[in-house]
Amino acid sequence: MSRPRLVAACLVALIATAPAALAAQAVVTVQGANAVEIVDLDGGAVVATIPVAGSPAGVALSPDRATAYVTRPDGPGLAVIDLATRRVIGLVPLPGGPLGIAVDPVSGAVYVADWYAARVFVLVPRDGTLAPDGEIAVGASPSGLAVTPDGATLLVANREDDSVSIVALATRRETARVKVGHHPFGLTLDATGARAYTANVTGNDVSVIDVAAAREVGRAATGERPYVVALAGGRGFVTDQYGNTVTVFDLATLKTLKTIDVGDHPEGIAATRDGRRLYVANWGDNTLSVIDAGTLAVTGEIKMSDGPRAFGDFLR
Amino acid sequence: MKVMTLAAVAALATVSFAAQAHGPTRQKVSDSIEIAAPADKVWAVVGEFQDASWIPVVEKTEGKGGNDAKATRVLTLKGGATVEEELNKRDADKKTLSYRITKVDVKTLPVNDYSSTIEVEGDGAKTKVTWKGAFYRGYMNNDPPADLNDEASKKAVLGLYKAGLENLKTKVEKGS
Repeated sequence: MSRPRLVAACLVALIATAPAALAAQAVVTVQGANAVEIVDLDGGAVVATIPVAGSPAGVALSPDRATAYVTRPDGPGLAVIDLATRRVIGLVPLPGGPLGIAVDPVSGAVYVADWYAARVFVLVPRDGTLAPDGEIAVGASPSGLAVTPDGATLLVANREDDSVSIVALATRRETARVKVGHHPFGLTLDATGARAYTANVTGNDVSVIDVAAAREVGRAATGERPYVVALAGGRGFVTDQYGNTVTVFDLATLKTLKTIDVGDHPEGIAATRDGRRLYVANWGDNTLSVIDAGTLAVTGEIKMSDGPRAFGDFLR
Repeated sequence: MKVMTLAAVAALATVSFAAQAHGPTRQKVSDSIEIAAPADKVWAVVGEFQDASWIPVVEKTEGKGGNDAKATRVLTLKGGATVEEELNKRDADKKTLSYRITKVDVKTLPVNDYSSTIEVEGDGAKTKVTWKGAFYRGYMNNDPPADLNDEASKKAVLGLYKAGLENLKTKVEKGS
């Protein structure tokens, strides 16, 4: 290796170990492979494959981004993964069909939706793992979940009830149920927690919810079978499972801006914290597509193991 | 007794909505075959949404909408069972066709939320046809019976693909 290249390599290594590197990893559930893969987003490659039995699907990160929580619907239960050592440090059994998962960014409590029922399990961090701490009644087949940045409110998309439950976390009670489109699955909150977006799987649209007013305030059209919404730069990005596309819409006008071709059966999607890129898990093709949030072009593709889903908050 | 009745009602209610929701683990299968014929010739057979006669188990195809998106077809199978399908996307340039099943009895095909893509890739006088499917198992809750579990659903779909692709090969190669 020549000297300039060696210096460059050292610089890269330095940058990679700096705290900013936290923003440059994806934690992806690869369901068919029964594993969770850590992707170095700058290098564009998988750097670790962690075996996790039980068809891992949903994923969420602790407030300090040091721990990943992964649902295992065929466990059933969830896995706790230490992202520094890249090891499973806990397996928590749960009844029913644990699928959607979200973390309270203030308290660190974990909320898991039971797909087969109408409840959300509450778990709290204890002794390096999670301890069950009750449940919250919501609508039928809860799917996507999100907690507002102040930790006060949980929102739950109830797929079979065509609704979103708004839950006050202080009392753990549903305070409102908002009717949305057909079969809401993914649920995404904006950075302030003012608006929530659901991908309505059989309605081929996105519902926009004013959280404080507890009502739907708009709809945006999507492609076939929308799954999850991500937000970046004043735009919404929606994975269309059957369309093999990402629909981009303007958050102010709700008009479609572009339809981007991605891989087969795109599912999980998330924007980097700086809002410059989006990552899409293509379940059918076993890849991650990289989208430039500015140009709306696909700029890369990363090979994954079988069946990446990444349903949840998967960028670190 | 009253408590028992309420509990029974609650259990029934749970089953009735859970039955609509598919399982949490989508399955995928894929099969392909090489055919000694140019791609155009193969596409002329598999790219025609309103004629599924190349699939051996299909006795009759009836539909509307031609090859346009949202076109529908009803396949009547040998023995009388039917499968209702909708065309999702057909790209004649790329020679790909994707569609989904909108209605099927799990006794006919043990799947839910089934979608499928057929891809035709030409290489001169040879053509590779790939048939891919994505679906959930026949039983939509925990602890499925053996005939409706993940393995059974994959086996059934793969069996369909193998028989279909082999028949397609025979049909096109004979006709060329």
